[in-house]
Amino acid sequence: MTSSTDPAASGGQAGLRKIVYYQEEVLQENGAVASAPVFRATAAAVIANPWIGTPPETDLAPASKMIAPVVARLLTDRLIAGLGGAERIEAFGKAAIVGTSGEIEHAGAMIHTPYFGNLVREFLEGTSIICFADDRAGAGEALVVPMWHKNQASTRSHYQTITARISDGPRPDEIVVVAAASTGPRPHARIGDRSTDPAVTSRILEGATA
Amino acid sequence: MNVRKIVTLTEETLTEGGRPVEPNARVAVVAAVIDNPWHGQGFVEDLTAGIDEAASKVGELLAPRVVKALGGTVEAYGKAAIVGLEGEIEHGSALIHTLKFGDHFRNAANATTLLPAVEKRGPAGVTFDIPLKHVTDATIRSHHQSIEVRLADAPHPGEIVIALAAASQGRPQQRLAPLATEQ
Repeated sequence: MTSSTDPAASGGQAGLRKIVYYQEEVLQENGAVASAPVFRATAAAVIANPWIGTPPETDLAPASKMIAPVVARLLTDRLIAGLGGAERIEAFGKAAIVGTSGEIEHAGAMIHTPYFGNLVREFLEGTSIICFADDRAGAGEALVVPMWHKNQASTRSHYQTITARISDGPRPDEIVVVAAASTGPRPHARIGDRSTDPAVTSRILEGATA
Repeated sequence: MNVRKIVTLTEETLTEGGRPVEPNARVAVVAAVIDNPWHGQGFVEDLTAGIDEAASKVGELLAPRVVKALGGTVEAYGKAAIVGLEGEIEHGSALIHTLKFGDHFRNAANATTLLPAVEKRGPAGVTFDIPLKHVTDATIRSHHQSIEVRLADAPHPGEIVIALAAASQGRPQQRLAPLATEQ
């Protein structure tokens, strides 16, 4: 019998055990209706870590190339279906949590190469670099996933986060891979932007007391 | 009824115990974060007014959404009320343990049995497990299951999280003998 950590053993090419979709619709914030209804979502895949038991000099590219594109397609399909189309998505982010028998580099290998990032960007019809979080943790650890605007990363109104959590993943020999998206800005975004910022330097502290 | 947020969660299990689950097992949860109708009023002896205001409305809000999120026939179901720290567990129970709430889900799911429930008080981010049982025969062992849920920023102290859960099948790899074999 093949090991459960063999990506081909079960769940297809990517060794998928579970897919979790989480979506939030914020109707009110601080007692007032949000300026526009915004949906935020994460899609997370629990996959076998294909590098369990391999030494640190292992070339990670072959397994990344085989697995990450499949996961990118799967996760963005769910985000697009849940949020009503790629054209409605304004912000995106990504994350990975590697189980405790893996390296943090294994998490990075799933999300930081073109085999994942370029495809997520293409499927969600964005142009920005994708911001991220990663962690090594036990099953059930919550990870705050950052998102920013998919075309203009410095658009401050779209700096936002969503929390991803899989109750029983990652197991020590698994990786949780997350793609996140939002259909709009923060509720009541009102902290200006680069175009409206005054010039601020350390001189602002002259005469200040703590 | 004042709703701050609606959360939808779906879990698809593709493998369990190292073996494929075919078709994939699906469980869906939809939760509404609402103001506790009795917050700040001290001990309210008669909860009827708050029940009349919110119970049916929140049931009506959640039932079609959880059926849609599941995307298939509802074979097992359950419910939850998670009360913020400044409320009573009785407040959550008041909203979910009434036919005004549950019948929306029973009708939408063609169900007949009582909805199994979790009632709990906790801080924002508390985890809770929603029990699910078969929609027409609560003794069907294959469908006894639960799903764990957590909303990162709810309930606030003056809020209640009300949730419904639906599953399109029993447990992945379920293989227990039926109850009847032990009788």
